[in-house]
Amino acid sequence: MNELNLALELLGVGMITVFVILALVVVIGNLIIRFVNRFIPEEVQEVVKKVEKAVGPDRKKMAAIVSAVNIVTNGKGKVTNIEKI
Amino acid sequence: MEILQRLYEMTAFRDILANPGYILMLCIGAFLLYLGIKKQYEPLLLVPIAFGVILANLPGGAMGVVPAENIDLGNGHYKNLFEIAHEYGIMNFVYYSLIKTGFLPPIIFMGVGALTDFGPMLRNLKLAFFGAAAQLGIFIVLISAILLGFTAKEAASLGIIGGADGPTAIYTTIKLAPHLLGPIAIAAYSYMALVPVIIPLVAKFTCTKKELLINMKEMDKLYPPKVKIKNIRAVKIAFPIVLGIIISIFVPSAVPLLGMLLFGNLIKEIGVNVARLSEAATGSILNTATIFLGLSVGATMTAEVFLNFKTIMIVVGGFLAFAVSIFGGIIAVKITNLFSKKKINPLVGATGLSAVPMASRVANEIALKHDPTNHILQYCMSSNISGVIGSAVAAGVLISFLS
Repeated sequence: MNELNLALELLGVGMITVFVILALVVVIGNLIIRFVNRFIPEEVQEVVKKVEKAVGPDRKKMAAIVSAVNIVTNGKGKVTNIEKI
Repeated sequence: MEILQRLYEMTAFRDILANPGYILMLCIGAFLLYLGIKKQYEPLLLVPIAFGVILANLPGGAMGVVPAENIDLGNGHYKNLFEIAHEYGIMNFVYYSLIKTGFLPPIIFMGVGALTDFGPMLRNLKLAFFGAAAQLGIFIVLISAILLGFTAKEAASLGIIGGADGPTAIYTTIKLAPHLLGPIAIAAYSYMALVPVIIPLVAKFTCTKKELLINMKEMDKLYPPKVKIKNIRAVKIAFPIVLGIIISIFVPSAVPLLGMLLFGNLIKEIGVNVARLSEAATGSILNTATIFLGLSVGATMTAEVFLNFKTIMIVVGGFLAFAVSIFGGIIAVKITNLFSKKKINPLVGATGLSAVPMASRVANEIALKHDPTNHILQYCMSSNISGVIGSAVAAGVLISFLS
């Protein structure tokens, strides 16, 4: 009987704890997103727009180039100009 | 004649004939190998476990794991690793140094973390709640197992199968009921492999066609998310750090598992600067840990330990835990849909298990069967990944209450 009481207690405590922790995951996630959006928004999107405007209509290729440069340089490199040789 | 007698005694024939349980266990090992190799049921773990079963049941091979009482010297003292290796063989050395100490499951969690992308969860944060509802099976089976005569520690180890997370099930069992490690690990991994069967089965009996047709992308268009992420990389780096600290304050006993999971995820998200660490965590370390974990868990299943009524109960209870967990997730979605304009496909709740990414893939396939344009994979991944966190937290609660 004692063990059954313990199990019921664990059902309550366990489910509440899991819900609380995942609620915290939601809250923390939202807070981090808001903080990042406000203080360190990504610059790549602007670069893509600039390159798209400057070079012309082939948007998929340009997006691929910008993404590749971003990955290889770990976000430090920027595409300022694309020329066909 | 004496030479023949000695030859006979040298072989394992006498022991095998004296105890037919060995033959049965060798057949079970062979069947598990068949499932792993031919049916491809979680082969990365089932093959080492199955071979461990075979090794442990070759009499005279000294590869079976001996009960903890054999190494207990009393007063909190144990035989040292050299003595264990010398007296009981290398498998016991591996088991007592790497498994019994609880070392390997967190190491595997580190690799899992380095393979996990929190992106889908961060983009659909509200769906993370369903990862909590899908832990219901753990606690329901815990209660049922106690009613059937299991001790609280054994029942908790059985219930944790419902979390659908192999390392978590093993870690919890090591801490609470190490004598049940073999059958619980087998049940956990077998049912994880059977997710493509269990989720459609539960969904069939609990979801209507109308519910399965709920198109998540259409819902997103009707009710778009309020906040869009402007720098996902920065969010992904900050998330494991902050979450790790917060969880460690609330549930310290979950830290060995979740801490390593989040560390693994952090080194993945940092990227090229620590690429070598990430590669090691997902490659050589994860693979080595998987081999030792599988073999030594399999080696715990000697005929004396495995062939009893509790094993059958674990197999049945494990299935129930899985099914109730899926049911819990689906019911949570249904309740949410009663109060929300933005409807959610109940399959998103069914993936609150932590069998990542298989549960999500299966749910996506079910949705596509009903509507070929309804891709719900990214939504399912949200609750699926939160299920990993949820099951580790549930394990932490059980360990801190019962150990």
